[in-house]
Amino acid sequence: MTAAAIELRNLNKSFGLAKIIQDVNLEITKGERHAIIGPNGAGKSTLFNLITGKYAPTTGQVLLHGQDVSGKKPFEINRMGLSRSFQITNIFHRMTVFENVRCGLLWSMGYKYNFWTMVNGQRELTRRTDEILEQINLTKRRDMLAGALAYAEQRALEIGITIAGGADIIMLDEPCAGMSHSETDLIVDLIRKVTEEKTLVVVEHDMGVIFDLADRISVLVYGEIIETDTPERVRASKAVQEAYLGTTLEEEAS
Amino acid sequence: MSTPSTNPLTAGTSRLVPLNHALPWIIAAVALFLLPVIFDSRAALTIMNQMAITIVFALAYNMLLGQGGMLSFGHAVYMGLGGFFSMHVLNWMSDDPWLPLPVLPIFGGFFGLLFAFLIGWFSTRRAGTTFAMISLGVGQLVASLSIIIVIFFGGEEGISGNRTDMLPFFGWDFGQQQEVYYLTAVWLLIAALGMYLYSRTPMGRLANAVRDNEERAEFLGYSQRNVRWISFCASGFFAGIAGALFAINFEILTEENLNLATSGSILLVTFLGGVGFFIGPIIGAIVFTLLQTVLSLHTEIWALYVGILFVATVMFFPFGLTGLLALHVMPWKLGKIGYLVKPYAKMAVPTLAFILSTAAVLEILFHARHAGRGDNEMTIYWWLTFDSHSPLPMIIGLVIAGVSAYALVKLAPGLKAAWDEATHMGEAGK
Repeated sequence: MTAAAIELRNLNKSFGLAKIIQDVNLEITKGERHAIIGPNGAGKSTLFNLITGKYAPTTGQVLLHGQDVSGKKPFEINRMGLSRSFQITNIFHRMTVFENVRCGLLWSMGYKYNFWTMVNGQRELTRRTDEILEQINLTKRRDMLAGALAYAEQRALEIGITIAGGADIIMLDEPCAGMSHSETDLIVDLIRKVTEEKTLVVVEHDMGVIFDLADRISVLVYGEIIETDTPERVRASKAVQEAYLGTTLEEEAS
Repeated sequence: MSTPSTNPLTAGTSRLVPLNHALPWIIAAVALFLLPVIFDSRAALTIMNQMAITIVFALAYNMLLGQGGMLSFGHAVYMGLGGFFSMHVLNWMSDDPWLPLPVLPIFGGFFGLLFAFLIGWFSTRRAGTTFAMISLGVGQLVASLSIIIVIFFGGEEGISGNRTDMLPFFGWDFGQQQEVYYLTAVWLLIAALGMYLYSRTPMGRLANAVRDNEERAEFLGYSQRNVRWISFCASGFFAGIAGALFAINFEILTEENLNLATSGSILLVTFLGGVGFFIGPIIGAIVFTLLQTVLSLHTEIWALYVGILFVATVMFFPFGLTGLLALHVMPWKLGKIGYLVKPYAKMAVPTLAFILSTAAVLEILFHARHAGRGDNEMTIYWWLTFDSHSPLPMIIGLVIAGVSAYALVKLAPGLKAAWDEATHMGEAGK
């Protein structure tokens, strides 16, 4: 059998005495769209940062395609085919939209720390950058400074940068935060389109988005995963409903 | 304000002139060739050489500050060490030369690169304040070492050499100032073109990416530290070239070439010109060298004026003198630059009066305090002679300054209205 795309083994993370993540075990199979939900402060972002290498785990392991990556640097993990977006828009503000996406392509196209070729002369690089701009519907904004884009466009650009490198595991941290309903619909369509045949892990508060997008859902409460299952079963789970302090997922979803 | 390019192939760091076309470079080369024909005095050649060296150093510095977002307080170290090593190479070869003088800057560059590599190994681990503090510490350390290691740095006298000791280059032995000028000018072109092309490579673009958002760059597969380190090395290389050019021109290097004052002044030059533009440091270096050389011939308190100019630039034009020029690109493109002519003309006289009268007041104060006993007579602006201790000139100066300042305040709304009109996309008055 092939190894899971992401596997967490007895993962723990504490900051001082505060245990933020406790004994998390999780397997996300290749091609799965997996959502992580949970109340505020449950440790979703910390879990995200552990997987992507921003934090090193206190104990336990993170495996990508069966390889232990615990303690590796973000850029090393990225080179193994994992790419992420951020909860707070994280783009290169003083560069153009085109250049933002192009930066996402450079490593994967083998340019590494090259300082002897002119980037503008690289036809294939330009072509692929434009292709991604087309996918995220930002072709018209190509030469604008990224910092001057509207918020929803910046979020789309963020996804564009994330997928540009062709990583096969995509992790999105609250991609729909702060968006209107119509913008959310657009971005969900975009996510579905660009993550086809890829493994997707998404943290999101909008339950509509979660139930629409996810194959499986993990519910994180106080640093522990209390349930991992299909959307229907998670929705029906007693433990999950209690964790949300009386509010049922039905209400949140509406 | 920055001016994002509309041409996709030049998109990126904003610039006033599309430098990826050959034309600006050809114009620059022709201008560099013709300058010594027009200004052929020895003093003019010295000023132009100094300008060229400062341009190379400022461009190298801006690879860190503008392109890479690294604020260094100790970049004189790399120029200075490049210069010292070049001087040693020169002296070492003087008995039995086997290379001509024009290759000396390559040595300077490689020694600058070597030290940037060694020091960058630890200083580029973090950006921001940490980087700035380490650069300050290293700058101070190397400057102190230069007094301690006398055998290498020559102590307080520094080290000197004779540039004519190396092999002649196509009959030139570089005893003539003009020959040195052409050597410097050619290296200026090579270095500027090299730095420009570097900014167009993947590394140059990544330096911008790490400057804007180091965390994001990490998640795109790039180690922010390595990107900074490589930028730092490239900058050290070009700073070393500037150091070698200094060694060739002045034939002496001292502690002053390494110390924090020199590091500080290159920051000032670069900022004055505008860090957001490739040609910013060039403009900064030209203006600064002119002030430093020409102004210092006429007044002892020139540094005060440079200081005032610097503070005014930082406060009112944070994008530097180039940024100020760049502001006019938009009215130019809209074909409305004519709207600005009249308000500018109106303000010209009070502006000039304000600057001259304020400077006169400062000069009178300085003269009254510092001139020798009984030496009360002073002359300003070549023909105005008066007694610096009598109150009348001072009062006149203050009145003119006050009136012109008042006129400027009154004229300001008119200028602003003209600006709004000139930068408005639509038809006039709508």
